[in-house]
Amino acid sequence: MNYKLTEEQELIKQMVREFAETEVKPIAAEIDKNHRFPVETMEKLKDLSLMGVIIPEEYGGTGADSISYMIVIEELSRACASTGIIVATHISLCCYPIFKYGTEEQKQKYLTPLASGEKLGAFCLTEPGAGTDAAAQLTTAVLDGDHYVLNGSKCFITNGGYADTFIVMAMTDKSKGTKGISAFIVEKDFPGFSVGQSEDKLGIKGSSTTEIIFKDCRVPKENILGAESQGFKIAMHSLDVGRIGVGAQALGIAQACLDESIKYAKERQQFGKPIGSFQAIQWILADMATKIQCSRHLIYHAAWLKENNLPFSAEAAMAKLYASETAMEASVKAIQIHGGHGYTTNYPVERFFRDAKITEIYEGTSEVMKMVIAGNLLR
Amino acid sequence: MKKIVACYKWVVDEADIRVEGKARSLNFDRIKYKISEYDRNAIEVGASFNEKQGCQFLAVTCGANVEASLKDVLSRGPESIAYVNDGALEETDSSVTSKVLAGIIKKIGEVDLVICGEGSSDGYSQQVGPRLAALLGYASVTFVNKLELTEDGIRAERKLEDGVEVVELTGPAVVTVLPDINKPRIPSLKQILAAKKKTSEKLELAAIGLDSLALKQKTLDVSGTVMERKNIQINSGGMTIEEAAQKLVQQLKADGSLA
Repeated sequence: MNYKLTEEQELIKQMVREFAETEVKPIAAEIDKNHRFPVETMEKLKDLSLMGVIIPEEYGGTGADSISYMIVIEELSRACASTGIIVATHISLCCYPIFKYGTEEQKQKYLTPLASGEKLGAFCLTEPGAGTDAAAQLTTAVLDGDHYVLNGSKCFITNGGYADTFIVMAMTDKSKGTKGISAFIVEKDFPGFSVGQSEDKLGIKGSSTTEIIFKDCRVPKENILGAESQGFKIAMHSLDVGRIGVGAQALGIAQACLDESIKYAKERQQFGKPIGSFQAIQWILADMATKIQCSRHLIYHAAWLKENNLPFSAEAAMAKLYASETAMEASVKAIQIHGGHGYTTNYPVERFFRDAKITEIYEGTSEVMKMVIAGNLLR
Repeated sequence: MKKIVACYKWVVDEADIRVEGKARSLNFDRIKYKISEYDRNAIEVGASFNEKQGCQFLAVTCGANVEASLKDVLSRGPESIAYVNDGALEETDSSVTSKVLAGIIKKIGEVDLVICGEGSSDGYSQQVGPRLAALLGYASVTFVNKLELTEDGIRAERKLEDGVEVVELTGPAVVTVLPDINKPRIPSLKQILAAKKKTSEKLELAAIGLDSLALKQKTLDVSGTVMERKNIQINSGGMTIEEAAQKLVQQLKADGSLA
């Protein structure tokens, strides 16, 4: 048992924090206001080798451990939750499944440019009629000679408008339900692939969320990820990694709420004293800090299990459930501490509030997290 | 190939020091350490010469607790670090520090250029660079905000109070740099992970010919300063600039700030 970050992890935290403070935070409000994907940040993330944190060096990554990955996402999200999820989606849901299930050729061709940050990745599972109920997929993949032909559409795809490489789930055998789903590596330039409408969202407005449309989209046979019918398993395992990533994103948002609240509580004077001298404010801060610390331990523990090749689905679900609800609560309280100012865009806490909400929804809602946890308890 | 050495100091991060009570005593309970700010600029100068001109680039440091700094510094460009870590260096002054650093640099041997930050984040005595130059018998160039290597020396731009001086010199030198000479890098994740593959050489004081350290300066007490503000608003009533200026002059005279 060791609760101390390693020297390397400390340095990574220091490095990402410095980068986030100087390069990410200063544009966070602007990209939110203008719904602008931060292309300039992508180039810098590539230079800092942050786009393939957990992928081995031989495939373009850095081979850092899973806790370092959590630190990277937390620190980026503390400055800008949109940037946090762009990176977390790219790594957890596109780089990772190719690393885990891809052939050597697929890794050379797709993973290396993704993990080195040359290309951006996305993950297509959700459909208009298939959210939590992933088995209700309508997108189909039919083998035709050397190609699979994909038809259907996906929605709420993070990085949709800017990604080069997509992991796509499609039905190869509808009669088998989830066991009939297969996963494919799809390039944005494949014939029949197109990006549909962009969503106008409540928060994480700097991230791109779009519809993806497949119209007789021809995908080479060798681009199937894993074996046919393995898609659901690949998706669920990738989402376990995704969930600790979203947990870390929520943790970053919650930490930002606390940091801003402490700063404001020290500065803001009422009745001739800083509001932080009142117990009403102190108790809110104490509760926030305690829940944030709990979230961090849950996330690091789930990441540690993953790092040690131990089962971590339930722990990932617990981490995401707790961290996302903590982020939501912390953002509500942060606005309360800021009073009327917190309700305006003059302070960042209203953005944290809008950004926090999605962490309770995507990559499995809080209710799904409880299903996963309970399923593990009762089996 | 030129051999370049950057000196750095591992200092308390001043953001973590708390000033407590009326005595203004300093609480160091939760302090962390960092590379002294301007030394990051010095390291960046060396890293840049290493990458762009293929110079050999090493770092040196000394102190009582410097081993925690090694990976951080190695991730910023030096090929290796030579250092003295000794409890006797718990408290030092610029005289002792420069003797130890000179000893390490002599041990490395044939160093063409030594780069230091203009002053440290804690003491800011600005003495280590010039003292080091004297001990090594090198030229000393301070307040440098631009630096180039020439075939047999350096060309440096010194930012002085009353202007800019450009100097050229041949032979080895100790240069102290100002923060605007460059923007120190944020090391990449790859550079951080690669730091563990680099080597560091620990030297004992005896190995560099220093058996006893005679401190010329002893710190007796440290306390925080608090800036007292009077909160006088000169233009609170919306008066004209002329009136406000007159009021300000009166106030400054009353305070004894203006004769």
